[in-house]
Amino acid sequence: MPDLSPTRGLRLGVCGPVGTGKSSLIALLCRELAGRMSLAVVTNDIYTDEDARFLRASGVLAPERIRAVETGACPHTAIRDDITANLLTVEELEEEFAPDLVLIESGGDNLTATFSPALVDTQVFVLDIAGGGDVARKGGPGIERADLLVINKTDLAPHVGVDRDRMVADAEAARDGRTVIPLSRTDLDSVAALTAWVTAEVVRHRAGDLVPTDPGPMAAHTHGHTHDHDHDHPAA
Amino acid sequence: MDHVPSDLLLMLLADARLPVAGHTQSAGLEGAVQHGLTGADVPLYISARLATTVRVEAGTAVVALHHLTHALPLEPVVAAWAARTPSHALRRASRMQGRALSRLTTRLWPDEEPVRRVSGLDGCPRAVALAGAAAAAGLEAVALARLVGYDDVQTVASASLKLLPLDPAETTAWVHGALPAVAGAAAALAGLTDPRDIPATAAPQTEVWAQAHAHSTRRLFSA
Ligand SMILES: Nc1nc2c(ncn2[C@@H]2O[C@H](COP(=O)(O)OP(=O)(O)OP(=O)(O)O)[C@@H](O)[C@H]2O)c(=O)[nH]1
Ligand SMILES: [Mg+2]
Repeated sequence: MPDLSPTRGLRLGVCGPVGTGKSSLIALLCRELAGRMSLAVVTNDIYTDEDARFLRASGVLAPERIRAVETGACPHTAIRDDITANLLTVEELEEEFAPDLVLIESGGDNLTATFSPALVDTQVFVLDIAGGGDVARKGGPGIERADLLVINKTDLAPHVGVDRDRMVADAEAARDGRTVIPLSRTDLDSVAALTAWVTAEVVRHRAGDLVPTDPGPMAAHTHGHTHDHDHDHPAA
Repeated sequence: MDHVPSDLLLMLLADARLPVAGHTQSAGLEGAVQHGLTGADVPLYISARLATTVRVEAGTAVVALHHLTHALPLEPVVAAWAARTPSHALRRASRMQGRALSRLTTRLWPDEEPVRRVSGLDGCPRAVALAGAAAAAGLEAVALARLVGYDDVQTVASASLKLLPLDPAETTAWVHGALPAVAGAAAALAGLTDPRDIPATAAPQTEVWAQAHAHSTRRLFSA
């Protein structure tokens, strides 16, 4: 049973392809938020605890608040279908530290991997601008429907021949108005935008206004097919 | 609930799709491969486990089932299991799996006393949690012991597909080939009721590999 208790903290998932900057983003959030709220981190890795060790070494959080979950080379399974190992670890951290925010990093996977809403309340999909300007347009559940899309390492844009503003505009179009944050650790305004978004999610969760939603794997809901579930349609 | 035939419940519990984080386990195979075990050795590794570790696990499960169905305390069963599982890494992995299983059985059988007893047990090992499920499902001791053996063999076989990839029909043939040994071990252990009679057949080499594995930094599996 998902723990729906409003007293537990927000569970925030961070996913996206390999090397796009998930661990760095989590380290950044820990650095920015640790003074303001109680935090814990769960990492999922292909090679178990690489990410946990990176985060512990970065010194942004007490080492016992960072735990690694083994995925048996199934990073996708561990965050989406059999989320048990992750849930047990999150629950363990919640029991020990009662954190306001638990950050869960997925093992770097392909474009289709997103978190189950039974594991996280809200999720961030991270893309690397150096992965090419076309990626945002290609779409996929994470890009199109994660609660937040981060286009990371914007400082690299001029070096890799990507038009940052164009890529952000493409992403915004693919996302139907959902939030996109272009991020670079060297751009303090972008860092502030990210922390503001996360803080707002924590507040929304506390107020009971955050309903976890699944970004995938199906295509976006469109009208015009037969419904087998109830919807309130405005009278024509 | 209407009566459910026990073979259906056994299928449910033996299914790799059961959400108990089975994909994180290799039944020690990864530690063994890190120390030089090859694909050709895996069938032998399976038989070795059936003669050693699996007997501890299945014996523990069977005795726990007896204690659950006869209102006897579980603590001596857990203590007997721990004494026969010297590796801290293996005890830890088993307790993690026990929690995963309890989490599920509490959802499936919330009103069953054995499930409640098991989930109230601090650091419940997997074999005891499985006994709780068996008690709730009305499984016989021999079926429970077969389940423990079968699951161990399948865990090795499926982890070998990740670690030493080969034709999956081949690994399934290993499983099939091991079934008589699974049945034999289960038949030998099904009558146990006393924690003192649980076989003390831990395999020192497996335990050493498991300890080393738990401290290796680049691993796919939890144990
Ligand atoms: N230029 C630049 N590099 C960055 C930025 N953020 C992260 N990186 C670099 O990107 C590389 C990958 O970062 P990680 O945070 O390890 O990426 P990850 O997504 O966690 O990687 P995996 O867990 O292996 O999938 C590292 O070398 C980081 O230093 C950024 O804002 N700008
Ligand atoms: Mg990482």
